[in-house]
Amino acid sequence: MRGFWRFALMATVATYLLIFIGGVVRVSGAGLGCPDWPKCFGRWLPPTNMDQLPPNIDPSQFNFTLAWIEYFNRLCGVAVGVLILITAIWALKSFRKFPKILYPALAAAVLVALEGWQGGILIALELQPLAVTIHAVLALIIVSLLIYLTAQAYYLENAPRNESVYPKKINYWIGSLWILAVIQILLGTQIRSSIEIIRAQYPLLSELEWLSKVGGLKHLHVTLGFLVAGITGHVGSKIISKSSQPFRIVIQSAWAAIFLVSAQLLVGLILLFVGLPPLMEVFHLWLASLYVGVILVNYSALKASSGE
Amino acid sequence: MKLPEKSLALAVAISVMVLIMGAVGYLVIKGAESSRSDIPVLGEVPAFDFIDSSNRHFGNNELHGKINVIDFFFTSCRGPCPIMSANMAELYQLFKDEKRIRFVSISVDPEIDTPVILRDYASNFGVMDDRWIFLNGAIENVELLSEQGFHLAAEGLPSMHSTKFILVDDKGRIRGYYSGTDDSSIKILIRDIHQLYHQLQ
Repeated sequence: MRGFWRFALMATVATYLLIFIGGVVRVSGAGLGCPDWPKCFGRWLPPTNMDQLPPNIDPSQFNFTLAWIEYFNRLCGVAVGVLILITAIWALKSFRKFPKILYPALAAAVLVALEGWQGGILIALELQPLAVTIHAVLALIIVSLLIYLTAQAYYLENAPRNESVYPKKINYWIGSLWILAVIQILLGTQIRSSIEIIRAQYPLLSELEWLSKVGGLKHLHVTLGFLVAGITGHVGSKIISKSSQPFRIVIQSAWAAIFLVSAQLLVGLILLFVGLPPLMEVFHLWLASLYVGVILVNYSALKASSGE
Repeated sequence: MKLPEKSLALAVAISVMVLIMGAVGYLVIKGAESSRSDIPVLGEVPAFDFIDSSNRHFGNNELHGKINVIDFFFTSCRGPCPIMSANMAELYQLFKDEKRIRFVSISVDPEIDTPVILRDYASNFGVMDDRWIFLNGAIENVELLSEQGFHLAAEGLPSMHSTKFILVDDKGRIRGYYSGTDDSSIKILIRDIHQLYHQLQ
């Protein structure tokens, strides 16, 4: 049993890294770097020169850099899959009586296998926007399950005293923030898809010009973004200043949420005014996934320490 | 909070990790960009001198200063040409706001495809301006251009003409071949046009 939460934390961190790598693959346009799946140009390691290309492949389709970017994502995916599988087996052996750990671990293992398989479909569909969105959303669900079970395992070893008192109804606020954040992520992926469609119609315009054609969805996303930031700042500072004998994790995750939402707002404004710098797009989705995780930790820590 | 030193160390470690991720991410994105922008130069379009559907001369010098997509076709063709021309028409519509991208269709049946016939064919595909040009030249010159200029089979013209779209840059250099009847190949063509276009400026 000992060491389980540390291992689960490692799997969570690795999954967050993988989400970042997946974002880089997306914005660098390397998603079809390998036109086949699971092999790359018919090989278990991508070709390093033209002679290794199978005869049925047009050599002009081959780009060494893009193939390796995509393949690195797949290799990391396999590594993360193994980590999650070990987590699930460990949970099955030692935490059968702890449904808050067991079920998320099993679900994460099933979903990570599904995610890998869906990655193959994504390539067969030539990165169709909905399939890309599903790939990202599945990753978010997996990392949420992992972070939740890690927190639960941590509370087992470091049991919070049940004497904390938090501001009234604060857990409803945290729950609402979680829902708002999920809505924001879905809106964001929708905006990403419409840019993709606009881009196909007007291939020669600049990023700022594409963005200006997005319209209503974008305004909603920005408005909600400010709202989420405002509520996070308000609720977070209330938790930090108005709790009595709070659990350490509650306070730390509140600070983390405030920090993340500020960073996210900054990155969002950069996207809006500088015109979608690719690296900032990656950080935008990645910060969102961290925010959702931190909110989950905060919620579970509130529950675990307030005697509910 | 009991161990501020430990928290501080953690914060520093996380910041360093995020910075490294950002830096590596940036380099990877730049690497991917530059790997795409070097579209190889495959050769030079040799001299030719044909006439367009308005009886004006059009030769290899006219290719300069624009990004050109070239194909071979003939108006009475029942095989792949209608698909090729329909795909070309889609590209023509897609790039309608940009005069520096031009489409050139060369007839492999010049006896039949007189400028008047070419003009009719063009208007059937909604061609309104000089962004899409239809050319008529002596059959032996067309054959020569196809075989020796573009290295495309031209035996048994008109029916056995190539179905490739050829991308030629603003300096008259051949930059790529794409299947004129295959959507995924045309997607790559659009991407390459985009890439060359941004190098124009």
